[in-house]
Amino acid sequence: MDKITKTIIRYEWRSFVRNKFQLLLLAIIFLFGMYAIYYGASVVNVQKKTISDVQKIEEDEFYQYQISFNEELNSVDAKRKRDIASNPSYAWFRHGYHAVLPPHNYAALAIGQRDLHPYYHRLTGMSLYYQLFENEIANPVKLYVGNFDLSFVIIYLFPLLIIAFTFGLYSIEKESGVLALLRIQSISIRKIVVTRLLFYFMLITGLALLISLIGLLVLSNIFSNENFLAAVAWLAGVILYSAFWFSLMFLIISFFKSSAFNAICAAGCWLLFLLVIPAVLNVWMISKYPIDTTHLAELTRRTGLENENDEKEQTEVLSEFLEHNPKYKASDSLFNNNRYAKVYAAFTALKDSHSKKDVDAYNSQIGKRNKWVNQFLWINPAVNMQDAFTLISKTDLNTFLNYQSALTKFHKDITSFYYDRLFWDKSITQEDYSKRPVFKMKESNERWSMVLFSFLKIALILVPIGLVGFMKMKKITN
Amino acid sequence: MKTYILIAKKEIKIALREKLVLALSSIILVLLGISLFTGVISYQQQQKAITKAQDEKRKEWLEQGDKHPHIAAHFGTFIFKPKTVLSLFDFGLDTYTGTSVYLEAHYQHQFMFRPAQDHNSMIRFGELSSALVLQILMPLLIIFLAYASFTKEKERGTLRLLNSQGVTLTSIAWGKIMAYFIILLTILTPFILGILLLSYWLKTPDTITDLRMRIGLLGTTYMAYIFLFVVLSVLVSIKSSVSRNALLTLLTCWILFTIIIPKTMANFGEGLYPLPSMKIYKEGILKDKENGLDGKTPKAVRIAKLEKELLKKYKVDSVQQLPFNFEGVSMQAGEEYGDKVYDVHWGRLLNIFNKQNKLGSYVSLFNPYMALRNISMGLSATDLSASVDFQKKVENYRRIFIKKMNNDMAQNSNYGEFYEYSVGLDMWESVEDFKYKTPSIYSTLKKYVLEFVSLFSWIILLILLLNYITRKTKLNNG
Repeated sequence: MDKITKTIIRYEWRSFVRNKFQLLLLAIIFLFGMYAIYYGASVVNVQKKTISDVQKIEEDEFYQYQISFNEELNSVDAKRKRDIASNPSYAWFRHGYHAVLPPHNYAALAIGQRDLHPYYHRLTGMSLYYQLFENEIANPVKLYVGNFDLSFVIIYLFPLLIIAFTFGLYSIEKESGVLALLRIQSISIRKIVVTRLLFYFMLITGLALLISLIGLLVLSNIFSNENFLAAVAWLAGVILYSAFWFSLMFLIISFFKSSAFNAICAAGCWLLFLLVIPAVLNVWMISKYPIDTTHLAELTRRTGLENENDEKEQTEVLSEFLEHNPKYKASDSLFNNNRYAKVYAAFTALKDSHSKKDVDAYNSQIGKRNKWVNQFLWINPAVNMQDAFTLISKTDLNTFLNYQSALTKFHKDITSFYYDRLFWDKSITQEDYSKRPVFKMKESNERWSMVLFSFLKIALILVPIGLVGFMKMKKITN
Repeated sequence: MKTYILIAKKEIKIALREKLVLALSSIILVLLGISLFTGVISYQQQQKAITKAQDEKRKEWLEQGDKHPHIAAHFGTFIFKPKTVLSLFDFGLDTYTGTSVYLEAHYQHQFMFRPAQDHNSMIRFGELSSALVLQILMPLLIIFLAYASFTKEKERGTLRLLNSQGVTLTSIAWGKIMAYFIILLTILTPFILGILLLSYWLKTPDTITDLRMRIGLLGTTYMAYIFLFVVLSVLVSIKSSVSRNALLTLLTCWILFTIIIPKTMANFGEGLYPLPSMKIYKEGILKDKENGLDGKTPKAVRIAKLEKELLKKYKVDSVQQLPFNFEGVSMQAGEEYGDKVYDVHWGRLLNIFNKQNKLGSYVSLFNPYMALRNISMGLSATDLSASVDFQKKVENYRRIFIKKMNNDMAQNSNYGEFYEYSVGLDMWESVEDFKYKTPSIYSTLKKYVLEFVSLFSWIILLILLLNYITRKTKLNNG
C-alpha cells in the first residue's frame, strides 16, 4: 500500500468516525440483523417444536400397537386394540407414519418457502394425494409481507446502506468544492474514488459478514460436516452480493453527475432489481403459464366403490389392481378371504395410480414456468442471491419438490408393507414392527452446483459493470 | 388565488422539462399498463377455470346416480373460490389463501392450493398489480417530483426574489402542491380511462357487491394518498437546507413505510400471538368431538342421552318404534355437535389472526402506506376478512346440504336398512348450487375505521403543519 492510499484511508476513517449519522445507520442495520436472526430462529424453533410433537404422537401410536401384543385379550377393548395392531385389513389405513422435513441448521437465516409449504405429513396407506396437499396454518397477511430474516436484511437493506454511504462519494466533494483542491494534487481522481469505495466495501461487507457470522455461530457449529460448506457459501454469497452493489455504485459515480442524480439512479436500480423486475416477471409468468389446480382438488376426495356389495365391480377392481401389481397374482385364490378389505385397498391403490398423471402434469407445469423464468434471471442478482440463500439453507422450492417425491416413495413402502400382509392373508406380528418402513430423503446432488450457478450469474453481471465504470472514469479523469 | 395558478403553471412547465420526471412517469404508466393487462388476462383465465370446474362439480353432483343420502354426503362436492373483478386491480392476499375446498359429512376440510405454492421463492418479491404500482411506486415518483421544490429555489436564491414581490411562502407551497397534484392526475388519466373501459367491457359475474361505490371509494382513497405524499414531500423540502437532505429524508420515510414497518409488524404480530400447527389444531377438534367440549361427555354418552330423550318424548321403548329413522337423527345430532366444536376451534384461530392483524391496523395510524394497503384490499374484497367470509358461507352451505341428507335419511328410510334405501336426482337437485356474494361495502368499511382515520388525520395534520411552518419560517434564515 503506497503512502497516498494510506493517507486517503486515514482521512476517510476520520471523517467516517466523526459522522454520527453514518455510525447510527450502521448501528441500526446491525440491530436489524440481530433481530432478523432472532426472528428466524423463533420461526424455526416453532417448526422444530411441531416436528417433535408430531414425532411424539407417532411414537405413542406405535407404542400402543406394540404393547397390545403383550396384553391379555380378555376385554372387547383389548381385542379391538390387538386387531388394529395386527390385522392388516385395518392397520393399513389406521397406522400413521410421520414424514418430516427437518429444517436445515441455517434455515433460520433464510426462511424462504418454509412458511408456505407443509414440512411434515402423517401418512397412512390411504390415498397418497388425499394426504399430500394439506396446508400448514398460516396468517395470509404474514405470508404476503414475508419474513424479516437475515436474507431479507442482506438482500434488501444492505444495498440501501451501500447506496447511502457511497452515492455522494464524488459529487459531494464536487459540490462542496473539495474536488478542485484534489484536482491540483498529482493523484488521479479514479484512484481516490476506487480507494474510498474499497474502504467502504471493507467496512460494509465486514459488517454483513460479522452479522452473518454471528447468525451462523449462534445457530449451529459451523465446523460440523453438514454446516461447513453452507457457512462458507453463505459468507461468499454475502461478499459477492455486496461487491455487485459496489460495482454498480462505481458505475453510477463514474457518470460524474450530481449527488441527487446518483441517489435517484441508485434507488431506481434498487427498485428495479428488488421490486419491479421480479414483480413483472411473476405476473407475466402467471399469465403465460397459468396453473390450474382445480382438477387437483378431485384428488382430495375420498371415494369408494359405486356399490360395495356388487361382486362384478369388486372383481373388476381386483383384476385391474393385479395388472398393476402382478406380484400378488399368486395369491389369486386367496381373494376369497377377507375380500372386502382387499377390494378397498386395491381401489385406493388404483385411485393413486390414476391420479398420478394429474399430479405429474401439475409438477411439470411448475417446472416449465420456472424454466421459462430462469432464463431472465441471470440479469437480476437480487433474485439469484435469494435463490442461493434458500438453496444453502434448504428452504427453496426444489427441496420441497424433492421432499414430495420422497413422500411418494415412502407411501409406496408403507402400502407394500401392509398390502404384502393383507393379500397373503398374514397378520402383522410384533417382530414386523421393527421392520416397518422408515422415511428417507436423499440429498439433492444438484444443490451445490445450483448455488454455484447463482453465484456465477451474479459475478457475470458484476464484472462488466465494474469494468465499464473503470473505463469511463479513466476517460474523463485523465 | 391568481398567484396559486401562476405558480402552479410555472411548476408544471418546469416539471415537463425534467427528463427524469418524464422518464419516471412513462415507466409508471407502462407498469400500470402491464399490470392491468396481465391482471385482466389472469383474472379471465382463473375465472374461466373456476367456473368450468364449478360447473363440472355441479354436474358430477347431479349425475351421481341413485344412492343412500349419507353416501352422497360423503361423496360431497367441491367449492372453488371465485375471483372478484376488483382482484385484477389489487391481488391482495389471493396468492396466499387457499382456492378450493372439499365439502363432506363429519369433517370441515381446509382450503387447499395456495397459488403461491406453484412458485419458487421469487414470488416473495411480490407481484405487479396496479395497486402495488400506485401504493409503492407512485410515492417514489412524487418524491422525485417534489423533493427539490423548495430546496432548489433556496439554493438558487429565487425564493427570496419571490418573497420580495409579496408572494407568501404559504401560497408558493400551495401553488406547487396544486401543480404536482395536477401533473400526477394527468399521468393517471390514461390508467383511469383504461379502468373505466374495462369495467364496461368485462363481463363479470356479480360476486362483488356495491361495485360502483367500491370503485368510487378506491379512487378517492388513492387520490387522498397521492395528495398526502405530495404535501409530505413539499413539507420536507421546505424544512431541508439542501436538496440532497430532502431526498434522503423522503427516501428513508418511503423505505420505512413500504418495506420495513409492514414486515416487522407482521412478524411481531406472529411472535406475540403464536398460531397452533395444523396437526395440533386438528387433534384438538378431534379430541373435543370424541370426548365432548367439556371433556366429560363422550360421543356414546351424547347418543345415549339423545336416544333416551326421544324415547321419552315419543313414549316408545325402542328406537325402532320411533316415527323416524333414529340413525338419521343421531347422525345429524353428531354433525351439529361437530359443527359446534369446529366453531369453537375455528373461532379461536380467527381470533389469533385478528389479533395479529389488528397490530397492523394500529400501526397504520403512523404509516399511511399500510392504511391504504388495508383499505384497498378490503374494498377489492381480497383481504383476510373477505376470505374468512367466503369460508364461513361455504361452511354454512356444507351444513345445509348435509342436514338435508340426514333429514331425508331420518324421514324416509327405516332403521337398520342402509343399503336398501336410496334417493336420486330429485334429491340432488333440491340442494341448490353454491352462489357467493361478498359482504356489503358497509361491513367492509366498519373493519377499516382505523385506517380511514389514519389517512384523514395524516392529511389534516400535514396541511396544518404546512400552513404553520410556511408562516413561521423566515426566509432570511433559510
